[in-house]
Amino acid sequence: MSTVDGMTAPAGAVSDAAPVRRRPRRRTGAAGGPSLRRRAAWAGWLFALPALVMYAVFELYPIGTAVQYSLYNWDGIGVATPAGLRNYVKVFTEPQLLASIIHSFILIAFFSFLPVILALIVASIVREIRSQFAGGVARTLMFLPQIIPGAASAIAWTWMYSPHGVVNQLLSGLGLGSWQKTWLGDFTWALPSVGIIGTWLATGLCTLLLLAGIGKIDTSIYEAAMIDGASRIQQFFAITLPGLRREIGVCITITIISALASFDVVFMSTQGGPGYSTMVPGVQVYQLAFTENRVGLSSALAIVLSALVLLIILPIQRFFRER
Amino acid sequence: MSFRHNRSRLAGASVAAGVVAAALALTACGAPGSQSANNGAAANPTAVSTQAPTSPVKLTLYDGQGLKNIDDALIAAFTKKYPTVTITATYDPDNVTTQNQPRQLASATPPDLIRVISVASGVKNNLLTNLDAYATAYGWDKLPPSQLSQFRASNGVAGSGSLYAKPSGFTMTGLYYNKDLATGIGMTTPPASIDELTALMAKAKAAGLTAMDVHNKEGGAIFPFQLLLNSSLGPTKVAAWVFNAASATIDTPEAVKAAQQVADWNAAGYFPAGVNGLDATAADALFASNKAVFFPWGNWDAANLDKTMAGKVGFMPMPPATAGGQLAAMSDAATSFGIPSKSSNKNAAALFLNFLSSDEARQIALDNGFMPSGTGAQAAPTVKPGSVLTDVVAAFGKVSAADGQVPFVQNATAGIANQAWNPESQLLLGGKESAQQFVTNVQAKYKDELGR
Repeated sequence: MSTVDGMTAPAGAVSDAAPVRRRPRRRTGAAGGPSLRRRAAWAGWLFALPALVMYAVFELYPIGTAVQYSLYNWDGIGVATPAGLRNYVKVFTEPQLLASIIHSFILIAFFSFLPVILALIVASIVREIRSQFAGGVARTLMFLPQIIPGAASAIAWTWMYSPHGVVNQLLSGLGLGSWQKTWLGDFTWALPSVGIIGTWLATGLCTLLLLAGIGKIDTSIYEAAMIDGASRIQQFFAITLPGLRREIGVCITITIISALASFDVVFMSTQGGPGYSTMVPGVQVYQLAFTENRVGLSSALAIVLSALVLLIILPIQRFFRER
Repeated sequence: MSFRHNRSRLAGASVAAGVVAAALALTACGAPGSQSANNGAAANPTAVSTQAPTSPVKLTLYDGQGLKNIDDALIAAFTKKYPTVTITATYDPDNVTTQNQPRQLASATPPDLIRVISVASGVKNNLLTNLDAYATAYGWDKLPPSQLSQFRASNGVAGSGSLYAKPSGFTMTGLYYNKDLATGIGMTTPPASIDELTALMAKAKAAGLTAMDVHNKEGGAIFPFQLLLNSSLGPTKVAAWVFNAASATIDTPEAVKAAQQVADWNAAGYFPAGVNGLDATAADALFASNKAVFFPWGNWDAANLDKTMAGKVGFMPMPPATAGGQLAAMSDAATSFGIPSKSSNKNAAALFLNFLSSDEARQIALDNGFMPSGTGAQAAPTVKPGSVLTDVVAAFGKVSAADGQVPFVQNATAGIANQAWNPESQLLLGGKESAQQFVTNVQAKYKDELGR
């Protein structure tokens, strides 16, 4: 079941592990003992080196500088003054910054739960489509929103939500004229409206992932279930859903991160308005750093946001890991 | 099995922790920005020359994309007059100029001529050249004081002191009005006071029209608010607040009254429905559809209105609070150009600044819809006949004569528009907060950002 990766554990540590693990070691040991194995371990690191260097320069270093900046008051240009933990205190005491974090949690419902539910339904239906062509068309159509940049689709949706836009025209066409409103300018409806844009964007990706997952489920299980007289609904809950455990985990992880770290959709559609009703941490981080030139406070909020994402994603990862 | 699993994860975690620690160690050398500290010598030149260069000089210029037409025309006229100078311009999209300009200014090789957005922050870090020596040499002191005061600073406060930038032209704000509809509701002469304006709007509303075309998705309601405030609080006090003068406050009875007036107008149905979701494009479309009477906006829309509603639009300054009161308008630079202290071609760059108030440059400014900078003694540039710009220029003349040029309140601090004016005005019009709360919250944000 397990394999020796030769990279994470030092050679000496292996001896007290289970016997399964000893066999490959002996094979390499015959040629020159631990030294060769150690060389092999270093060779492994060598292969990973280019990626590690990129990772260190473009991920770890910026994270390090962000942590450093968060401990200063800095306008991004002049000399910074140490701020201790005051920026963090501000993140947790400023009501608007806290409210923006709550908004991003509400967005999870739209960016994550709705798309996964929709994708499950769509994927189970598309699976049933016999025609290769129709199936392909369905898959392509579902995936299209994923190709369009979030910023561009946010602009398109802004037009659709406008007072004389498609959404309001549809409502009046359906005789629901009294429901018409300026969706993105309404204090109650702006956040759900922004959320729907996210739903539209994420559903395609989730559908594609789940379709790939369904393809891996052995069709004979479905046949057996049908012979036993299981209905489509029963098949869904007994075969499809458990079979897609990992794929659903991936969908939820990706989409929750995109909800918590959302920026482009909100920035292009509402900029956080009306009032502060759609403000999210991603937009706050941007505005604090690049509009207000408060790099320290912005970095502190970004660090808190990253920690929050990890805090939420790690248990989810654990839950969806295959048992 | 579980033991081994944990083991490898532990190793992985310790490697990750080690790398993060190393990254932290790498970055943890001194306070951010300490290498870029500037000395003041380059920022305060004393020996300056007004001679056109005899050998070729290459200048670079940085501005926003929206100003490309006027800048390109100015550059063409300037380099024709001074053939030894060439200017290469770089334009950023307008919505990122605010973010990029400080970085351009702080760069090791900044442009020689740069759009100055905040005089105070440029001065604070010694990044901008003090232009006093040039002003004396060229005689810029002859320009009306109100034309240059926005670009002066002393002790980190803008509004007075040494000169750091010079404008290519001015913006002008006030009320556009639909001539036919205005006549229809009985407006024969521009309203002389806010009460008269309100009465006219009531008639417009009764006639089924949008009385005032306000769009507040991006804070357009601040326009009528400040137009009211300029007159009631007075240009000096409003400007002092924008320039961050010590202990300046906008939490005054006049500001509360102005905010209340805007909220009342909206509550009375004078603004379009869904005003908080309307952007400038939608407001333009509404005005062009001949369904709105007044449109509080600025000179930048004149060319567009000449195209979509040729001959149908007039422009007037906002009526004063009471008849015969202070006439005022928001009016700042199209672009105020400054010279970064690290520029090595300061004399040639200053020659360009001087050119900005020449007769040729004044005509170019007006051709591009901006109010020209210059002295009253200079020849008046000509306006294309039939353009609404004729009205705008006339209004600018009246406001200038009344010393009523006021900077925009949105420019008081870098973040105040996005973080206070826009959201708070949406809350005000949405009926979510009172006029007093509106003013208090903006002032709180102002103090917070200035660290007061």
